[in-house]
Amino acid sequence: MASTIGSLGAAEAVLKPFATDINRPQPERLEVSIHPNDLLAAARALVDESWGYLSAIVGLDRPGQPVTQGESQAEGAIDVLYLFCSGAAVVTLRITLPYSQAAIPTISGITPTAMLYEWELREMLGVEVIGLRVTEHLILADDWPVGVYPLRKSFTGFNQPVAGAEGA
Amino acid sequence: MAADTNKFVIPIGPQHPALKEPANFEFWVDGEIVTGASVRLGYVHRGIEKGAEARTWTQNLYLMERICGICSHVHATAYTLGVEKLAGVEVPPRANAIRQLMAELERIHSHMLWLGVAAHEGGFDTLFMYSWRDRETVMDLLEKISGNKVHYSANLLGGVKFDITPELAAEIHKGLDFLEERNHFYMKVVTTDETFIGRTQDIGTMTTEKAEFLGAIGPTARASGVARDIRVDAPYLIYDQFPVKVMTHTSGDLHGRFIVRINETFESIRIIREILDHMPQGELTTRVPRRIPAGEVVSRVEAPRGELLYFIASNGSEKPERVKVRTPSLCNWSTVLSLAIGLKLADMPMLLSGIDPCFSCNDRSISLKRGQQGPQVWSWEKLRQYGIEYYR
Repeated sequence: MASTIGSLGAAEAVLKPFATDINRPQPERLEVSIHPNDLLAAARALVDESWGYLSAIVGLDRPGQPVTQGESQAEGAIDVLYLFCSGAAVVTLRITLPYSQAAIPTISGITPTAMLYEWELREMLGVEVIGLRVTEHLILADDWPVGVYPLRKSFTGFNQPVAGAEGA
Repeated sequence: MAADTNKFVIPIGPQHPALKEPANFEFWVDGEIVTGASVRLGYVHRGIEKGAEARTWTQNLYLMERICGICSHVHATAYTLGVEKLAGVEVPPRANAIRQLMAELERIHSHMLWLGVAAHEGGFDTLFMYSWRDRETVMDLLEKISGNKVHYSANLLGGVKFDITPELAAEIHKGLDFLEERNHFYMKVVTTDETFIGRTQDIGTMTTEKAEFLGAIGPTARASGVARDIRVDAPYLIYDQFPVKVMTHTSGDLHGRFIVRINETFESIRIIREILDHMPQGELTTRVPRRIPAGEVVSRVEAPRGELLYFIASNGSEKPERVKVRTPSLCNWSTVLSLAIGLKLADMPMLLSGIDPCFSCNDRSISLKRGQQGPQVWSWEKLRQYGIEYYR
């Protein structure tokens, strides 16, 4: 456990200049919230320090709250979590992207593993990954409708036939 | 021919002779030599992550087990460990010991399956048949414990369903003796057969630096000298009391990947014997609340193919807000695409199978038959008839 605490301390020191918020949700986890513009620099800082490896990118859809009388509906957001692991230590870079600005730069130039995860994030949650060279689908069918993202909470299946789709 | 590179592009898959599961590869070749590669996945994507959001915590346990038929137990283990952490529940030591025992039996089953597949891709069908015949032994043991050969469904939220009786322990010991003897034979074949060595040595070599840079995990990484194993790096269950030795090799080639996996099988056999001889006493289950407190958790386990990561978010209700599953095969694809360059096209089947790719790992989405109204549930007979009509 001592090495895990030391490892998290080292990561915190590296990421502090970019942090808008820092917390420790579990003893082996450090979560650092950052601005999207700082993503490349923060990821570069971890890689340059040889701090662990990128283990996963997680997208979380956070729809806006339901409309209450007299108030406009808050805009929803996508949280993008970059999980770096080193031994038992897990460091999360958390970025919150409003639906209207759901775009982040690719970090695949810094850590190539990111490419498949970013590709999946783009397809399933509709986050534009700037600089990701691939354009075709990774997972979804070729005739999947443009602008439909299955892991958004608003997606509840297809109730109407899709024109041109197989079996339509 | 690709106009921009002036090289031939050979598309392979999604149905192709190299693998039994669907993936599409494009290999750019100059003569026989591969100069570039790309992959397309998702042909059997089932929407499990989306499906999880509409099911209760308990229902999801059975859904997660069905991500993979080869490593169903380790998926359920990663999920239960995450949910139990969110719920603040401590599982009885005997339950954790049985979970670990099942996980190591599953690792033996998975590694022996891989040995057969990899041998088959290299043209060594006798070894394939031997290893799959012998693998029945470990599957029979799993069936004796759980009643099932594939989906053992041993886990519950808060414990396990099955106990290990002294009679079962004796049978497991006997099966392990046989498997150990057979794996000595496999190791002899892999390390002494001239043809086998010719097809594996110095093929698909990945240096330690490259393995780390490409984010390789599991036996693929360990065969390149990367001593990364969640059982050791972040012990879960009772791996702190019954620790495993990390099996590594320095060659970094296909040959090393064979040796690492066979050595890991020996190590699994050793750990199972230790657990059986020092099984903690006590209960098998503890109570877990129906509603799981709000929060987020990361759960990591070492699946047979490498690190398996679950990110679970709860909103405090009876159903999860999000279950993200990052499977090991996804991490290792980039190693294949990188290592293919410079090799012969004929080496691709063995290179692909060298990472032990699992398409259940990659593909987790619902296949929606669009153009139909509303959700559909088809009977077996209707599905059969559809298949007959489709291919008529």
